[in-house]
Amino acid sequence: MKRRHLLASGAAALGLATAGCLGVGGGGSDQSGPSTPARVDDPPQAVYLPTHVEGMQMSGMARDGRLRFALSYSFPHQFWLVTGSRRRTVELREEDSLHLMVSAWDGETGTVLPTSNATISIGRDGESVVEKSLWAMLSQNMGVHLGDNVALPDEGTYDVDLSFGPVEARGAGDLAGALAESASATVQLEYSRSTLEDLSYTPFPDRKGERDAAPPMEMDMVPTGQLPPVEDLPGRLLGEGSSGDATVAALALDEPPAGVEGDGTYLAISARTPYNRYPVPLMALSATLSRGSETVYDDALASTVHHDLGYHYGAVVDGVETGDEVTITVDAPPQVARHEGYETAFFQMDPVRVTV
Amino acid sequence: MPRPRADPISRRDFVRSAVAIGGAAAFSACLGRESPDLPTGPDDLASLPERQHAWNAALATDDHGNDVAARHQAVLLFDYAGDGTPTDADREQVERALRSLERAYPRDHEGLLFTVGYSPAYFDRYDEPLPDSVDLPAPEALAPFEDPEPDTADVVVHLASDYGSVVLGAEEALRGEVETLNGVDVAASVAGVLARVDRRTGFVGDGLPADHQDVQGVPDSEPVDEDAPLYMGFKSGFSKNQAPEDSVTIEDGPFAGGTTQHVSQLHLNLDQWYEQDDRYHRVATMFCPAHAEEGLVEGAGDNLGNTAQMEERGCPAHTERDARESGVVGHSQKSARARAADGNPLILRRDFDSADDDRAQLHFVALQESIADFVETREAMNGTDLGGAVGQRQNNGILQYMQVVRRGNYLVPPRSLRALPTPQPA
Repeated sequence: MKRRHLLASGAAALGLATAGCLGVGGGGSDQSGPSTPARVDDPPQAVYLPTHVEGMQMSGMARDGRLRFALSYSFPHQFWLVTGSRRRTVELREEDSLHLMVSAWDGETGTVLPTSNATISIGRDGESVVEKSLWAMLSQNMGVHLGDNVALPDEGTYDVDLSFGPVEARGAGDLAGALAESASATVQLEYSRSTLEDLSYTPFPDRKGERDAAPPMEMDMVPTGQLPPVEDLPGRLLGEGSSGDATVAALALDEPPAGVEGDGTYLAISARTPYNRYPVPLMALSATLSRGSETVYDDALASTVHHDLGYHYGAVVDGVETGDEVTITVDAPPQVARHEGYETAFFQMDPVRVTV
Repeated sequence: MPRPRADPISRRDFVRSAVAIGGAAAFSACLGRESPDLPTGPDDLASLPERQHAWNAALATDDHGNDVAARHQAVLLFDYAGDGTPTDADREQVERALRSLERAYPRDHEGLLFTVGYSPAYFDRYDEPLPDSVDLPAPEALAPFEDPEPDTADVVVHLASDYGSVVLGAEEALRGEVETLNGVDVAASVAGVLARVDRRTGFVGDGLPADHQDVQGVPDSEPVDEDAPLYMGFKSGFSKNQAPEDSVTIEDGPFAGGTTQHVSQLHLNLDQWYEQDDRYHRVATMFCPAHAEEGLVEGAGDNLGNTAQMEERGCPAHTERDARESGVVGHSQKSARARAADGNPLILRRDFDSADDDRAQLHFVALQESIADFVETREAMNGTDLGGAVGQRQNNGILQYMQVVRRGNYLVPPRSLRALPTPQPA
């Protein structure tokens, strides 16, 4: 057994650097090994269980104002980038050392921020060795994060300077006005190959390719980014459906939350991954609200982050009444980068119709 | 001296390295390599244009009529070395130094093109303000996601030539390090009046980025094509996408005939661009989704002629729609939303790439009548107004791949006022 269980001491407080905080992977396999680009043959056009998942190592945490950041890493990963409806594979490079991940959340409400400007400069002895803007990414076990594969010159301790924000989605509710500024933080990165090689490696030899998802990895002090179950969201649940294997729920709040201009009913669309309830960000959604022969609303929805709704898409409409029909249209599929098991989902996205 | 290498290096690699290193020894070595056979400058300097920035007529043009930037460039920053305000003697010395450059080299792309500009920090030493006809605010961040260092040097000199040795020679002559230039006696230097505080060097033109891609910010796979004039692999400066010199020229007041200059320094981070993105994405984000969809761009884009085909393809007008329906918007597409009343762009780009500090960089030199024109163009390029599926940087033009590290604003006065001007010249 090579995996080391270096669990965080529970005493470490938010905002203090906490090295050696290893997340515990799901599955409990004792196997350890490098990331292999083995793929599921002919995967479904839906969320599916990948060939395997890997553990990740927490490197440290930091804060700036009310925002919190966690820096963690795993093996370099094959992943997919999206432009419009096109998907491209990012292959592993020999020089890639690790897959670096930044998790960001609001410290006051615990709300995870799945997309933002997030630019890192990795330096050592005052000299920058890597500078890049991270991709907004979805991973089954590593959740929503900002990440990329990174090539480091060798093992050792690096300073990772993070420039984060503004978040392009508007802040609402307790997050009104909280996401419009940029923040910065420095987190230490201890890179050692032995730590990396000791991370858990959990294959799914019998179930890979099935329509399911590996469970979120729990990390001490870091929210997984899961949205609450639909029934726990605020407001009136108008109905839900599925599009491109994303769960799409429509809710009506009696009034717009703080940070959202206008008078009327707030129509909130919560789009989430099946199984793990991660938000599906960087989509273009619009909605049509019909009342009999009348069109009450027919326009775009704005990506918004709310302390209870999390990341969602919303608009102010002139009331929602029994018998109304809400049609949610996906104008552009989520441009978020995907780890294995999410790369085929969320492309063929039909409208979702809900009758109130 | 140029970076030591075990293998023989190409002439252009040597020259670029010499320009980057600078100094009299590099000048001498570079001169030996290039041996430019250049005539001297004009005897009668009165024949030179009053607009310092009137370079276009002195540049080469390509088959499509686009102006071709001089291949080697440098931006030199100086502080005024004296206390208080410059004296008439200081002014005369600087003017004589500049005239020495003009006498030494012909004013064209093979010879020497240069401008001299002055920052808000320079004019701050005077009690009286600049006239209202000059818009020259202190440099500041121009996007909510950038945090550049503002440049506060007093004076900026932008040098350009197809010969690296000419750029180097001009710099050394200004600093008083050489006595003759192209066989012409150097009558004066700026030494004692101006102290150099920074130098930024670089290049633009086919083959030069490919020759200098062994830098941080470009992956080791040597992805930059031999026909690329810039690191990102595409040409820029299509004549229809450049502001005409006339429209970037200050029209009124004592500085009529001058212009304003924005000089920013950007780090380029092209690992993702070359190793994770595909050609479709590169064309969509550099130009416009329509260009990617229709395969309009071949190679570096020479086939586009004298226009990036923005208005022709309806790109600027479709920016919001593309953010929503295509999930991606182009850099040129967004920027082309900033246009003057006559439909022309607001800024004239004179930018160049750089391998200073062994790092892929872009020195973005832009001329415009007022700094507000630059700010408007940059805000259009930011795309922070766009909703849809694009991120703050992700799929949002080329913002993903660049970091602005410094910004500076300058007034480039007309030639007759180029030597340490007062803010309210008579």
